[in-house]
Amino acid sequence: MIRLVTILFLLICRIGFAQQEIDADLLHIKARMDAVQQFSATVVLDLDVPFIRMPTKTAKISYERGKQTTFSSQDFVMLPKRGLDFSLTELFKYPFITVERGTEMRNGKSLKILNVIPTDNRSELALATLFMDVENQRIVQSEINTRKEGSYTLQMQYANEKDMLPNYLEAAFAVERLKIPFNFMGKDTQIDRKQMKAKDTKTGVIKMQLKDYNIKYN
Amino acid sequence: MSALLFAELLKLIKQPKTYWALGAIFLIELLILVTAYYQGSTILDILLDSLKQSFYFEGSLLNGNLILYIVLNGLWFNVPLIIMIVTSGILTDEYKDGTIQTSLLQAVKKQHFILAKYIVAVAFTLVVIAFMMLSTCVLAYTIFGKGDLVVYLNTLNFFKSADAFKRICWAFASGAVAMVFYSLVSITLAVWIKEAAKTWIAAALFLVITNLLLKLDLGTPMLNHFFFPKLMDTWQQFFYFEIDWFPIFLNNAILLFYGVVLTFIGTWTFHKQDIG
Repeated sequence: MIRLVTILFLLICRIGFAQQEIDADLLHIKARMDAVQQFSATVVLDLDVPFIRMPTKTAKISYERGKQTTFSSQDFVMLPKRGLDFSLTELFKYPFITVERGTEMRNGKSLKILNVIPTDNRSELALATLFMDVENQRIVQSEINTRKEGSYTLQMQYANEKDMLPNYLEAAFAVERLKIPFNFMGKDTQIDRKQMKAKDTKTGVIKMQLKDYNIKYN
Repeated sequence: MSALLFAELLKLIKQPKTYWALGAIFLIELLILVTAYYQGSTILDILLDSLKQSFYFEGSLLNGNLILYIVLNGLWFNVPLIIMIVTSGILTDEYKDGTIQTSLLQAVKKQHFILAKYIVAVAFTLVVIAFMMLSTCVLAYTIFGKGDLVVYLNTLNFFKSADAFKRICWAFASGAVAMVFYSLVSITLAVWIKEAAKTWIAAALFLVITNLLLKLDLGTPMLNHFFFPKLMDTWQQFFYFEIDWFPIFLNNAILLFYGVVLTFIGTWTFHKQDIG
């Protein structure tokens, strides 16, 4: 009897895993993304972090497939370490499985929700939830959970229906509270000891407008 | 009056103490520049350490604007101390050398005599601040170049280079008002105390107490607003992300009013005093 139950269990598991195929819509999107060999664009950055006040900055973004995305600016710019991978290179770097989570209506469009789970331990990502605009073959939102660096959310907007790269991107991420040594504080600085001892993290948002795209395809 | 002013200016230009003061300020600037050159990056790393876990930084924050801001922080203690020592000497030296009697034996009104000293003290203070700003600008921008400024005042505030420079200029102007107040205090102390060393000690004590009382809460916003130690940091308000001009203007106006009152008290006291 026990042997029979075990065989049945293994059979069910085998059938279950066999059904974990990669979503076809995601593969279409990936194929569109893979067509981009490199691009550069002007980025207008607005940082919204509770304890940082920074004016709007402009930078140049350069992406080349297989290489680290680089930024350059005449101003001093701060860019989040997480959340700038809007080509989702990191997500597709290692093998993964997908699980469909239904649909959601947003701005009159039906978005397909998909969980992407990397199956390779080398991947820095633990789980990604993608909101896909299947009709236009692009990702509108992604919620990424990493193994070591917390989670972040990316929201993308596009200038027109055919665009593959966003003209607006909003990345929300957790930021640790700022710890400033006393020596560097201005004499006017209000010191709230309770607040200073609190180890809470805050959510930071970086808003990026991307323009003047120069895209090279395969 | 103009002859008196001219004579006082001449005395100030001729006395070595004036150049010692300018030299001291220049030396402080040089020390700040050397420290920034060798340790600036490390200090900034410590300041921004907790942010480095979450952000990439593109560009450098160690630049002329940061150096100017550090030099501006000399307005808390170093610069007013030097100004108070020199300006009090304008009167105490006269007492020490006995030249005050010689001067007042001429057809000189006592009020005019002391007012000339107050005016020259103010002029000297403005020259010191202008010298401090110009020399730091030349050195800091030549060595470190321009760039964005970062200042921590409750929040980490970043300013673009051009905006930072404007704020620094305004801060120097506002700081000059505070320094003028200190110089007027210094002359008034000299009127009361007369002796150079004792006046210096009193001036230094005044400076220390002013700094200590900066954070004292007097209970009501009205009292806090008119309490002079709290007006001394007005220049720093230019480094909040949004400048609130009205309190800055009001603080400087109140400080100037206190300066006028001090000058009046000093002049009146000097007029009543026996010069012998």
